[in-house]
Amino acid sequence: MSYIIGSDVVRYACTCGILKPISKLYFCRHCLEVRCGFCVCHEVDSHFCGKCAENLPSSEARLKKNRCGNCYDCPSCHQQLTTRAATVGPKNPEDPKATPRKVFYLLCLLCRWSSRDVGIPDQSAVSGGWPERENIHANRLQEIQDMYKGIVLLDKQQKLEKDKKKQRRYMSFTDRTGITASMLRKRVGLPDIPHPLLKPKPKEPEPAVAKEDVEELPEELLTKPVNLCEVTTMEQRLVQPEWQPITVEKLFPIHKQLSVKRSQRCRSCEHNVSKPEYNPNSIKFKIQLFACFHIPEVRIVTVEPLRAGKTCELLLKFSNPTQHQTVITFLPVTLEMEETKISEQVTEDKSVVDDYLLEKKQPLSLTGTGSQPSSLLHASLSRQPSITVKPRPIAVPVVADITIPTSTFILPPRDDAAEYDDSGDTHNIQDDSKLVIWRKSNKAVVKLQVTPKEDLKIGDEVVAGFTMQHIYVNTITTVDNKEPQKCEHKVKVFVTLGNLVGSE
Amino acid sequence: MPLYEGIGAITDKLVVVIDIGAAYTKLGFSGEFSPRCIIRSEVKCKDTGRVRNIRDYENAQDLYDLLVDFVHMLYFKYALLSPKDRPVVIIESLLCPTIFRETLAKVLFCHYEVSMMLVLPSHLVCLAPLAVDTALVLDVGYTEAIAIPVCHGLPVIHAWQALPIASQAVHGNLKTLLTACNTGINSISEWTIEDIKVRCCFVTTQKRAQEFSKATPEITTCLEVKYPLEGSRTLTIPGKVRETVYEIFFEEDNDHQCMSTMILDAILKVNVDLRIKLSENIVIMGGTAMTPGFKNRLKDELYKQLKSDRYSKLKITKFKFHSPPSKDNYTAWLGGAIYGCTELLSMKGLSRENYLKENRLPDWANMKDNLRTL
Repeated sequence: MSYIIGSDVVRYACTCGILKPISKLYFCRHCLEVRCGFCVCHEVDSHFCGKCAENLPSSEARLKKNRCGNCYDCPSCHQQLTTRAATVGPKNPEDPKATPRKVFYLLCLLCRWSSRDVGIPDQSAVSGGWPERENIHANRLQEIQDMYKGIVLLDKQQKLEKDKKKQRRYMSFTDRTGITASMLRKRVGLPDIPHPLLKPKPKEPEPAVAKEDVEELPEELLTKPVNLCEVTTMEQRLVQPEWQPITVEKLFPIHKQLSVKRSQRCRSCEHNVSKPEYNPNSIKFKIQLFACFHIPEVRIVTVEPLRAGKTCELLLKFSNPTQHQTVITFLPVTLEMEETKISEQVTEDKSVVDDYLLEKKQPLSLTGTGSQPSSLLHASLSRQPSITVKPRPIAVPVVADITIPTSTFILPPRDDAAEYDDSGDTHNIQDDSKLVIWRKSNKAVVKLQVTPKEDLKIGDEVVAGFTMQHIYVNTITTVDNKEPQKCEHKVKVFVTLGNLVGSE
Repeated sequence: MPLYEGIGAITDKLVVVIDIGAAYTKLGFSGEFSPRCIIRSEVKCKDTGRVRNIRDYENAQDLYDLLVDFVHMLYFKYALLSPKDRPVVIIESLLCPTIFRETLAKVLFCHYEVSMMLVLPSHLVCLAPLAVDTALVLDVGYTEAIAIPVCHGLPVIHAWQALPIASQAVHGNLKTLLTACNTGINSISEWTIEDIKVRCCFVTTQKRAQEFSKATPEITTCLEVKYPLEGSRTLTIPGKVRETVYEIFFEEDNDHQCMSTMILDAILKVNVDLRIKLSENIVIMGGTAMTPGFKNRLKDELYKQLKSDRYSKLKITKFKFHSPPSKDNYTAWLGGAIYGCTELLSMKGLSRENYLKENRLPDWANMKDNLRTL
């Protein structure tokens, strides 16, 4: 596959204006638009450990600070540590019956760092119970944090009370009778409530005290030679932000950072375009609306040597990935069209500021049809409608004209069995022989005329573009529409044809 | 948001605290006492495959794309949660360029749709872990050193001092010194230079520095280091280079300014009544300040400058330094994490609705935000 996805000679224009090869695009079946990784909304689906493939619910992952409880990374080279077993003599060597004990330690198979290097005692259980380190300032910081929380909360309450007092319009009891509430409470025999402003203030820890003396320069730096093997590198320091050890004796095994599975959601219709299966062992998808399953794929077969101002032949191969027959029509590519379309949209919507199109959408209702009702139900609880970012103009210099053929051609549906059928093609398709020069099952090769612009220099990269219109059969059934619907979908395709070899 | 994310995660929203520095970005969650990760502020460009620092942008559009990729990495590789509808705390320098903060806000609000953003000035929040409200804060980062006094919880911006003497200047200096004494070695990558600086170099004492500045120093330098380069070659780092590479911090430039004068000038610009208090509450933060010997040297230099005529009107007799309960390179982040777990987020944060109304971030330099309302 690398020859297809590795080089992007054929690029499709995403709705957001970014050019990407078809393997990196999504196709939202609900709004019938091409989407890419830039213009979809990414979401974290599930947490898992990349080493032990254990699945952690997000609340647990949060509790463990997004780290796996059992797997460790090497603090020296950041590879995974393995648990090694070793046998040591029995506790009391005099006892002849005692069996040797098994102990475990951590070892990096890449750089040979081991937990014994830094004096971590061997453990008697495989899974560890490795000692954890605590931040030495934790208590003090917790106090300070509580203090700030208290101060801000008090501030907020006072503000609220101020607002409340302002709003009071009717006469108070005190004004009428001259008896205050606290007097009344005393008479009735109820305990007095303390005045809100006299509330106990949050306990304030002592502010830090500045000292006159600071860390001195360690004398041994001047006299002792530096052994680079004993001084940690920046990477080794920064993977342990809390401690940032300076010497290798203070390195400590690091809990392995978890990974996530992501799902992608179309911003304009809030449907998933890609959703992986929950299980970390599975590489399959629950939803995969990849463009290469829905949009005909274009590949360059061959192109004549390109000369400025001279027409040359270009052979393109089209293949239909869908289960439905499609008709492909060529249309000229217009880069300017985008901008006029945008400016129209902008004038329509007066509230658009600067360059963002803020399409406010209603959250999806529960009755709405969707492929995953459970997540929809949840979505209505917490999801805010997305903001649609205005597409940017397509930034590609089109320096060659493609003569747009007037005729169209048909691509039969994909049939996996036909791949192995050598009995020749049996379909009777009336083709324009000038356009279609080869055909097999769901594929066809077409011949196009391309003319690089005259002002090009030798060695310039030649990019040509056309708009491909294909018939897309939408198989999503809605309440109103039970039948699959046919619609015309347009996508702009840009082919990089190589460098100019000469002029006319 | 998937159903199995749990109800608890919805009611108690996690607040991501991000401090995007010029060289390193600190990322973590509010209420925690250390960042989850400290990573380089760079992102791999998808088109060219080149690793680019996010501050090396060409224009706003370019910066937008860089930040989209960078924030994506922060959330999905390190924070591991969806940014949508979650609040975020950003710690920034008061001297952060407008284009950077505006683009960052645009990326966070429009592309990642965070629900709320609280922007905190680094010089102010770094005092939170110390529980003090008046201090002189010196931030020695990657591109520049910035000193701003904070008085009773308010940064005194008119007294700010900034000089381009920080990591980057040291890297440049080290590079010239090393290429001068190692023939045949011309290109040493920025990260190798940093590694040499961190592992071999230090700030020497004032006494030795004075000796070095003489024509014939009568001291023995510290020992040289053989640094292996690219597997086959060896770089010799002379003892003198190891000791004196940081001297650019304390050598006065053409305007007679250096690290120590910055602090004293900042104090001079503040009201007389606060000067003593500021000099007795000095907070030094930033990764470069972690260099061995740096604080000691700065203290000595401050006393030396105090004797000169420029500062004769300062009635300061002693300087006192705070030692925050954190490593210097994440002090500001820690302050942001403490601020982020209070109600301040909901009181002062900028919500998405408000941002989309005005399409800009409040800024201290903008008169619109500085109008006094009675």
